[in-house]
Order: sequence, then structure tokens, then C-alpha cells
Amino acid sequence: MNAAIEITNLKYRYHDGTEALRGVSFRVAPGECVALLGPNGSGKSTVLLHLNGILPEKMSGDGAVKILGSPITMENLETIRRQVGLVFQDPDDQLFCPTVQEDVAFGPQQLGLSRTEVTAHVQKSLAQVGLAGFGRRSTHHLSHGEKRRVCLAGVLVCEPAILALDEPTSDLDPRGRREFKALLRQIPATKLIATHDLELVVELCARTIVLDRGKIVAEGATVELLNDEALMLTHGLERPHILRHIHPH
Amino acid sequence: MNFLHDHSRGDSPVHRLPAGLKFATALTFVLTTILLPKSQPVGLGIVAVVLVLIAIVSRIPPFFLLKRLLLLEPFVLGVAVLALFQPDGLRAFLILLLKTNLCLLTTILLSNTTPFAEMLRVLKRIHVPWLMVSTLTLMHRYLFVLVDESERMRRARASRTFTRGRRFHWHTLATVIGQLFIRATGRAERIYDAMCARGWK
Repeated sequence: MNAAIEITNLKYRYHDGTEALRGVSFRVAPGECVALLGPNGSGKSTVLLHLNGILPEKMSGDGAVKILGSPITMENLETIRRQVGLVFQDPDDQLFCPTVQEDVAFGPQQLGLSRTEVTAHVQKSLAQVGLAGFGRRSTHHLSHGEKRRVCLAGVLVCEPAILALDEPTSDLDPRGRREFKALLRQIPATKLIATHDLELVVELCARTIVLDRGKIVAEGATVELLNDEALMLTHGLERPHILRHIHPH
Repeated sequence: MNFLHDHSRGDSPVHRLPAGLKFATALTFVLTTILLPKSQPVGLGIVAVVLVLIAIVSRIPPFFLLKRLLLLEPFVLGVAVLALFQPDGLRAFLILLLKTNLCLLTTILLSNTTPFAEMLRVLKRIHVPWLMVSTLTLMHRYLFVLVDESERMRRARASRTFTRGRRFHWHTLATVIGQLFIRATGRAERIYDAMCARGWK
């Protein structure tokens, strides 16, 4: 069976010469939920931006990134972008339409659906993220938690097979975080979550990949990795408190 | 971002000269160029040769300078074309074209051999109105923030775009520009509040 995400020796250097990725390889099986951990600047976001061809700027077609078995090319870019839903770290970057309704409708509108179909899709996704009736609200005047959920709705509305989330719970209050985690758990898509929220990782992701300075430094079962205090501290992380109450054996 | 990239932090004999001196020289060059009478094309030739020599010593890639000049050429042409409608128009047109480009080359050379912060210091020292200097300072500081912001928005938008419809793209672009404007205004207010919070008057 094809992997949902297959990355082979991915390298990337930013314009200013920063080497963001220095040979990253991993696979994510369909339906899996995998955490991408690492200190700031370790390359987590850069990996996510490669999943739907935002990076590299010039499509190399070398097949370093394969989505559901196919390498990303200019020809299949649009299909790939439908298959991979990317949720950005800052909701304000993502929400660019004046109202919630318009923003969530951005995806379905491009599919050439009729107006009633678009509305139906939008309402369904808003209900899915618990924001039914928010359609007419201005995207600018939502709480941070609500913005996050609108972002998610805007991506879910296209029914992506893969969901890539960049620090989905940063800036959320405890309740917002709890609700967002519950929401993520219900979504059946393959998930790759770049985060610093170690509780989320323990609760949602069976497998974890640790990235540091553009390289994978550890990969394996979440509870085992996160229990390795030395490993966690070396790479700017820490053993989460929640694990002190969960015993792997 | 590429278009903001400049060579002001390079290293060459020209880069190492004091900013004030470079500023004064550039001003002299611009004034000389403007004031040279039309009957003295040789003078313009000398200015051009000196500028080219400075460009060579400054080790700025010639292609880069040419690109910057070309970027500004539509504005130059827009004005210079009007000269064609007067008697002996072609000559006036060519002289105007040459003069404008020499002035532009001077400022391009100045801004690419002197970091912006140093230029602001010179402006302050020669008593350019304080309001103007602080406006320029803030503009330079937040230009990069704004460019970064629009770049992040562009990526997020591209992620959710999967048609090639031209009209749709224009529509989206318009929305984005509107949002960027609203955000920039919002940010300006927050910056002002933050400045006041730290005692700015």
C-alpha cells in the first residue's frame, strides 16, 4: 500500500542561505497521526510547506516528497493541494476573507459547485468544528480559538486525505486547547502535527518524529521517546508531566 | 524578499567611506547633473564616467544596478516623453533621459553602499525635520514585517488554491490586498500604543 506521505532525503535551503532541511526522510501510513517535534527553527514548518508544493519555489520534480504515492509536479499540484490540507500557525495569515462564510467557501468555490452546494458544504464544515451559525461573522473579530476552528473548517471543507497542522494549539487557552484536541481526534484524515504541545502529542499521536537543525534525530513510539528525558532535553524539549502518570509497561 | 535585497552591507573602499561624505557627494552629483546646461553634454559625460568608476570600485554587480535602473525607467520615460513635444524635442528628450538616469544611478549607488540606518543618522545630523526621519525609520522597520506578512498570506492562500481561473485569482488578490491594508492599519495602532506605553510623546 502507498504511504500517505513519503519523504526521501529532503533538503532545503532558504534564500538567505539558512539550511533548513538537511536530508529528512520519513513515511506516514494512511490514517496515522504523527507528531513532528523539535525546537524553534528545527525545520518543522519547512517540512509542512513541502507537503503541498508551496516549497521548493521551483518545482524540482525529484520525487523527494510523495503524496499518496505520487511525486509533486506542476501538473498534479492542484490535486495535491486538495488532498493535503495545510493549517498554518497564524490563523490571521490563513483567513483572508471578510466573513467566515466567504473564507470557508474559498475551497468549494474553486471546485465549480453551485451556490447551494457551496453553502451546504460550508454549513457542514462549520457544524463539524462547532461553529454552526458563525457564517456571517467577520473573521477579524473572532477569538483566537474561533479563528483556529474557522481555519480548520476552511481546510476540512475540501475533504483532504491528509491534514498538516502547524502548532495548532499555540495561543489557545486551556479550554480552547481541549476542544481543539477533541476536534482533531474526530477527524479521520491522516495527520501530521508540528507542535510544542507535548500533552497533545501524548494524547493524539501514537508515533513521534523529532527534528533538530534540519535532521531527524529520533523517531518512534511517542510514549517511549517522550519518556527519554536525556533525548528530550538535548533537543530543546522536556519530558511532559502527563507521562509521569502514564506507565509504558 | 528579493526585491528588498540590497548590497548596502557589502565590503569595498566605497562602502567603508563615512556615510556623511557619501551623502554630500551624492547630493553634489545630483545638483551638478541637474544644473549643467543643455549645451554641455561633455559635463554629463564626465559625471557618467565618474559614476561608472565608483560602481566598479564598489563591487556591486553591474547587472543588479542595471536591473534597478530598468525598474524605474517607466517613470523616467513617462516624464521625458513630454519633452518630445517642444522644438528640438529629440535632443531635449535625450538630455533629460540621460540626466534623470545619472541622478537615479547616483542614488542607487548611495543606497547600495550605505546601510539605511547610517543614512538616517546622517539625516538626523543635518537637521532634517525630526518627523520625517522618524517616519522613514518606522517605514523601513515595518516594511519587512509587512512583506513577511504578505508572503505568509500568499503561501496560505496558495495552499488552498487549486484552480487556474484567472478571474478567480484577481478576485482573491483584491481581497488579500484589502485585508493586508486593514491589518497594517491595525498594526500601526498597536505600535503607536506600544510606543506611548513606553513614554513616547
